[in-house]
Amino acid sequence: MLPTLLSQVANGLVLGSLIGLIALGYTMVYGIIQLINFAHGEIFMVGAYGGLAALTYLLPAAIANQWYLALPIALVAGAVIAALVAVAAERFAYRPLRDAPRLAPLITALGVSVALQEAVRVFYPDATAALPFPSIFIEGTLEIPVPGGTVPIKYAGILLALVSLALAAGLQVFVDRSRTGRAMRATAQDRDIARLMGIDPDRVIVLTFLIGGALAGVGGVLYGGYLNNINIDMGFQNGIFAFTAAVLGGIGSIRGAVVGGLAIGLVKSLGGQYLPGGTAYDYVWIFVVLIVVLVFRPQGFFGETERVRA
Amino acid sequence: MTTVQSPVPASAAPVSGRARGAGARGAAWLRVAGGLLAVLGALLPWATFVLNEGPYPEKATLQFFVAPLGLTGFRLHLALLGLAAILVSVRAVRGRARIVRALGWGIVATSLVNGLYITVEGGGLGAITASGGSAAFGAVVALIGGAFAAAGAVGGGIEPLPVREWRMPWWAEWLLLLVLFGLLLLVVSAVLTSGGQGGVVNPYAGAVFLSFLAAAGGAFAALHASGLLTWLAAVAERHRVFSIVVLLVMALLLPLTGAGTEYWMTVAANIGVYAATAIGLNIVVGLAGLLDLGYVAFLGIGAFVAANLSGAAASEIGIRLPFPLVMIISAVVAGLFGAVVGSPTLRVRGDYLAIVTLAFGEIFVRSAQNNIGGLTGGANAIPNIPQVSAFGTAFNESIAIGAVTLPAGVLYYVLIVLLVAVVMLVFGNLKNSRLGRAWIAIREDEDAARAMGIRTGPIKILAFLIGATLAGLAGAFFAHKTAVVAYDSFRFLESVTLLAAVILGGMGTIPGAVFGASILFVLPEKLREFADYRLLLFGLALVVIMRFRPQGIIPDRHRRTELAPVTAQDPPPAKGAEA
Repeated sequence: MLPTLLSQVANGLVLGSLIGLIALGYTMVYGIIQLINFAHGEIFMVGAYGGLAALTYLLPAAIANQWYLALPIALVAGAVIAALVAVAAERFAYRPLRDAPRLAPLITALGVSVALQEAVRVFYPDATAALPFPSIFIEGTLEIPVPGGTVPIKYAGILLALVSLALAAGLQVFVDRSRTGRAMRATAQDRDIARLMGIDPDRVIVLTFLIGGALAGVGGVLYGGYLNNINIDMGFQNGIFAFTAAVLGGIGSIRGAVVGGLAIGLVKSLGGQYLPGGTAYDYVWIFVVLIVVLVFRPQGFFGETERVRA
Repeated sequence: MTTVQSPVPASAAPVSGRARGAGARGAAWLRVAGGLLAVLGALLPWATFVLNEGPYPEKATLQFFVAPLGLTGFRLHLALLGLAAILVSVRAVRGRARIVRALGWGIVATSLVNGLYITVEGGGLGAITASGGSAAFGAVVALIGGAFAAAGAVGGGIEPLPVREWRMPWWAEWLLLLVLFGLLLLVVSAVLTSGGQGGVVNPYAGAVFLSFLAAAGGAFAALHASGLLTWLAAVAERHRVFSIVVLLVMALLLPLTGAGTEYWMTVAANIGVYAATAIGLNIVVGLAGLLDLGYVAFLGIGAFVAANLSGAAASEIGIRLPFPLVMIISAVVAGLFGAVVGSPTLRVRGDYLAIVTLAFGEIFVRSAQNNIGGLTGGANAIPNIPQVSAFGTAFNESIAIGAVTLPAGVLYYVLIVLLVAVVMLVFGNLKNSRLGRAWIAIREDEDAARAMGIRTGPIKILAFLIGATLAGLAGAFFAHKTAVVAYDSFRFLESVTLLAAVILGGMGTIPGAVFGASILFVLPEKLREFADYRLLLFGLALVVIMRFRPQGIIPDRHRRTELAPVTAQDPPPAKGAEA
């Protein structure tokens, strides 16, 4: 009993930290321009394919086989490609609609999401099916002995969790301490006043998409290395989970996104193990959490003020 | 799109090109030259192509050499558009610049489609210009002609849309409407069947269809620019009941036209299902302004309820009820689920609500995939749903009335036409009712609506309930028509497609939803060669529509003022709200 419970907790925390990492992008963008960037999940997916492309087509096999060389290169490639796509989406799809009625950018974001997913499916070689993703970290599993058995955790999973949490912590420090972070907070509070204070909101918004995209790209590569296979649907699913996490934690809050992500990860793994229906229904439980949170506590755990949404 | 500069009153004399000096005269010449070039292009080789069996270049026959000056199909359209452009350019017609602009764009689009197809399918641009000394490239000439015409029109200054207020005796107007709707029937039939069945049957179905669509679109835009369409709409509005009856009869006559084969009946029935569902969604999104991203679930619920009550061997509930009763039960069950899904609107607004509806839709798909309660068949679906039958005739059989043999599936077509008519009636009446006004008020400003004494909560839930009921009706039909119901037909992407149909056509209008649904479900049928790129283009199209024409192709009058900048081109509302 105990080993099963603990290994599900471990799985949940690994997945949860990834969801938290993706949720950072949602929460930052929503905090600043009140847009549910529906395409953010696809940015995560694009990052994974970007990392895979770097590993398969860019690197000679001798380097790709050395994880300490391949890992940083794949991470950078994934982050750069995802960030570029995110910034392009902002520039060409969202920016022209910044003053449009609220539903217009949401529908545009849906369009971007469908287009990105299909672009990868059509143009990436063999992307119509799931693709194997090479190992980018120490292979194998760490077996932690507990009473009654052992709890296995993949090393790649530990890496995923540690990097995700470290990046989230770094982002928190960046937003709290740096001059640019202060500009971001100011823009989120009131774009017009921020402009009066000499901040260029367009620059801040582009930067937000850039950071969010890069984080999602890193997440995509780490996720690929953890599961050793990626497909074009991974963006939509994990994107919805991450959005749920962002709302659960309180939209606009970095800490909230991470806590929400961990909570969602635990709901998925423990729900799949212990709730009726098993893993076939684990998605359903997350959506139930999403509905309940949106209806009863839309400001989430850490949301300070209740926004007026029209 | 916003090309109106001067707020000239609509009743003022048309601004003629000559009145504006040399620049305007140049523009007038440009328009005439454009029209001439289009006609010339239609007569030149390589305007279009006929492909025989075998490899290129043997397979290609220049139509020019087969039948010199033989104007059929696309070349005929091109010549007609060009002639119209010349005629309108030399005569002082009201709204001239707008008409020529529309014609010019029609010519450009038509030539572009054909030119691209010739280039891609015919072995590349170089191969064409080099082969057989046929240097003249008809499609390119016509393309330039169209561009000239459009540029000349814009350069000459665009005047406001002319308003025509002719009145005729009632019998003349009835006759006019009768002829008009008869022509509409023929156009619909021609659009539906142009290019024939796509895919392996005819590899050039896509080219022919797109070319025809471009020409028809140009002609319609020109008619609209002349103010005639607006006038005809006003005439139809004056004889509302007559128009509705004639339209219904014309829709029922479709099987007697060229579209009267089993294949086209099936396509038309499928369009009908999605049109009915899109109108239901239009209540939620277009009228009440509540974005629903999981709407296709209601179609699915209706379909699964009908499948379970149909006596299909694979269904959990092994009873068979009469079809009308099944429809009612499906609609009621879907409506109840609609109320459940709508209940969060009491607390959640805007984009958060959209996400809640998305979550409900996903829960439905996951549950159906896992065969919840044995009701959905899971991955095996529910196959072999019996056909609807009446008086001993199954609805998928062909029937003979006197000397006329109607194609198989015609009864399903009749049924869906009646169903769509009922759905339209419900929508039209609701829109102009107290409830509809309340929805529109909520859409515009929920807080203000509440302050005006509208009980927003129940009214919003009612929007979901009624929309879902209509989708449930369509779902019951869908289950019997396709005979198989699988969870796969009700995924998120289908919801997005329906939403796109409503947005593309124009939120809040019936013709908009029907038009959007038709386009989105006919295009993939014709463009099989683009099947791989279908969704990619679809996603990009959503982005482009939201950017350039968020109010849709046939906008609602209220909605138009809300989503797009107000321009002088919009005529003042003639009388009351539109249908």
